[in-house]
Amino acid sequence: MIFTGLLCGALLGFVMQRGRFCLTGGFRDMFLTKDYRMFYALLIAIAIQSIGVFALIQLGLIEFKAGAFAWLGTIIGSFIFGIGIVLSGGCATGTWYRAGEGLIGSWIALFAYMLMSAVMKSGVLVPLNDAFKVYTLPTNSIPATFGISVWPFILILAAVTIYLVVKHLRKPKVAIPALRAKRSGLSHLLFEKRWHPFVTAILVGLIAMLAWPLSEATGRMSGLGITTPSANVLQYLITGNSEKYVNWGVFLVLGILIGSFIAAKASREFRFRAPDAKTTISSFSGGILMGFGASLAGGCSIGNGLVMTAMMTWQGWTSLLFIILGTWTASYFVYVRPRVQAKKQQSTSITTA
Amino acid sequence: MQHKLAVLGMVCPFPLIEAKEKIETLSSGDELVIDFDCTQATESIPRWAAESGHSITNYEQLDDASWTITVKKK
Repeated sequence: MIFTGLLCGALLGFVMQRGRFCLTGGFRDMFLTKDYRMFYALLIAIAIQSIGVFALIQLGLIEFKAGAFAWLGTIIGSFIFGIGIVLSGGCATGTWYRAGEGLIGSWIALFAYMLMSAVMKSGVLVPLNDAFKVYTLPTNSIPATFGISVWPFILILAAVTIYLVVKHLRKPKVAIPALRAKRSGLSHLLFEKRWHPFVTAILVGLIAMLAWPLSEATGRMSGLGITTPSANVLQYLITGNSEKYVNWGVFLVLGILIGSFIAAKASREFRFRAPDAKTTISSFSGGILMGFGASLAGGCSIGNGLVMTAMMTWQGWTSLLFIILGTWTASYFVYVRPRVQAKKQQSTSITTA
Repeated sequence: MQHKLAVLGMVCPFPLIEAKEKIETLSSGDELVIDFDCTQATESIPRWAAESGHSITNYEQLDDASWTITVKKK
């Protein structure tokens, strides 16, 4: 049963690679180019998962406990995570699937991410991680705070999402040049055609929903998750303790790598690509910040941003907000500021000349 | 005139950022040939070109995870 994780991960890796589902790029472009497509896509995935999972809960097929809300860790951790994903060129899941495309830079980021998550979860930084957990509010569930059913909240989310998506789709379109099609039929659809981000998002939402019953069947009572399983891979390799560290989630993340490799290979997008020194340093430090932040926040852009949001928790939505703010802060320092300074220097050298 | 931009090995979004910077220095009608190997740029570079009104005179895959695109400045 644990192998269903591999299948679920492979589906996710495949869909994300072919759909170019990149939350880092999405959050960054909201700031850099006022492009909200990817954010709307994320809302679609959250809404679909939310409806599906709460329907399953209603039917008594799965269980979910929102737990407590470690607010300080969520806020600070998510912000740091947001900075990390810009430096490493992809969020936790993005890093897994880009590793499957053969990007060595992503392998480096992935290793740093695993390492730092393990250090935070079972290594020397456990006391620091625990220190933040002191600042916890008892109720994490948003509907529980208001003492009402979850469905009005899901309805609001669905309505807002539909409104934004329809508004976006009604905008006049620009014809975007594409590569000449060389294949036809299913092969074209799966390995060549450009997928609309909203179509990809629907598939991601369905996979995120599917993850719940599959994971719970193995006794792991949650949905998609990346950080703890990524740490578990390293913890298992080092301790050899399979009972403690090998679970559905470990197979899930390994599946992402396999799925994206299959997708990239079949569409001629796989090749080992070595980064230069600058990219290597950036990827490594990004991975460290990702692991640190996600562990502190109790989840990454998938665990918190896609899953805990769908479960209507304070943790999910607070985390999503601060991940986005972290991404914007890093984007300013990485992309905007260097260009402004370069321009300033240019103009001073002209006036002094 | 044709200019060349080598952004092989660069991760996204840097190929796009370099392309945007480079095109500002060109004159109208000049062409910029961009060779890149970052998968996401197969989507982001043509989208940027189309949305900012430049035309694309050549776009093809050269090899596994390797593409070339020629953007003609408006």
